[in-house]
Amino acid sequence: MRTLLAGLLTLATASGCRPAAPAPTVHVVEISGMRFVPESLTVAVGDTVRWVDRDIVPHTATASGWDTGAILPGDTGSVVITAPGEVEYRCTMHPTMTARLAAR
Amino acid sequence: MFRTTRSALALAAALLPAAAAGQATPDLSDPEVAHVAVTANSIDIDLARFAEGRTRNAEVRGFAQTMERDHGAVNTQAAALAGRLGVTPADNDVSRSLQQGAASARTALAPLHGVAFDRAYMDREIAYHQAVLNALDSLLIPTTENAELRGLLEQVRPAVAAHLEHARRLRASLGGA
Repeated sequence: MRTLLAGLLTLATASGCRPAAPAPTVHVVEISGMRFVPESLTVAVGDTVRWVDRDIVPHTATASGWDTGAILPGDTGSVVITAPGEVEYRCTMHPTMTARLAAR
Repeated sequence: MFRTTRSALALAAALLPAAAAGQATPDLSDPEVAHVAVTANSIDIDLARFAEGRTRNAEVRGFAQTMERDHGAVNTQAAALAGRLGVTPADNDVSRSLQQGAASARTALAPLHGVAFDRAYMDREIAYHQAVLNALDSLLIPTTENAELRGLLEQVRPAVAAHLEHARRLRASLGGA
């Protein structure tokens, strides 16, 4: 029986039936009251983070390695996280605004 | 129409010592209130543009660019709100007094260069944003009756607070008295 199961598993793997990796997730960070909400977020490599500007003024979400560029009031900006690690990001227009993003 | 005469006078009092001392207590109409709001933003935009041309400090220039951008965005939304409410901003004594105060600030800054200019500009921005923040907290937001206008003021409040903190940090980095 053990041999049969191993054989079936080998066959399934070889035929491309291995369990699929989780589909990338889109995470939403609200920018409101001159703050990133949530201020700390953990994502998987390959996920997308989307910032929504609910404020009355433009913002950015900027870290070493990625940058949304200017996000106008009512608009959104997104980045795909391509590398693991934890970074502090900020709004380049408003240096008092910072948050943390971890990618596993 | 919404009644914001007390709010307008509070803003004038906060930004204009003469009004606070009772030397000018005009009874503002709604169109005049709208003009005061637009003027308060425009003043900081104009000074920011002046600073962008004068400073050689990248951080100070960045701050000025943010002031120009943010206060411009607020004015755009204030104008849109005034349009929806059928209010056409009208010039008035408070607006003219605010403009006179801005002209005085510009005159004081004009002969300054280098770090002396940067320090004086940031000192002025700290005082200006603190005054606006005080006016928002103490009277403008609590007493404004029109919900849309109050909502706009509540949205503006954290931006003004962030500008103030940004200005304080930048001023501290410039040293000097």
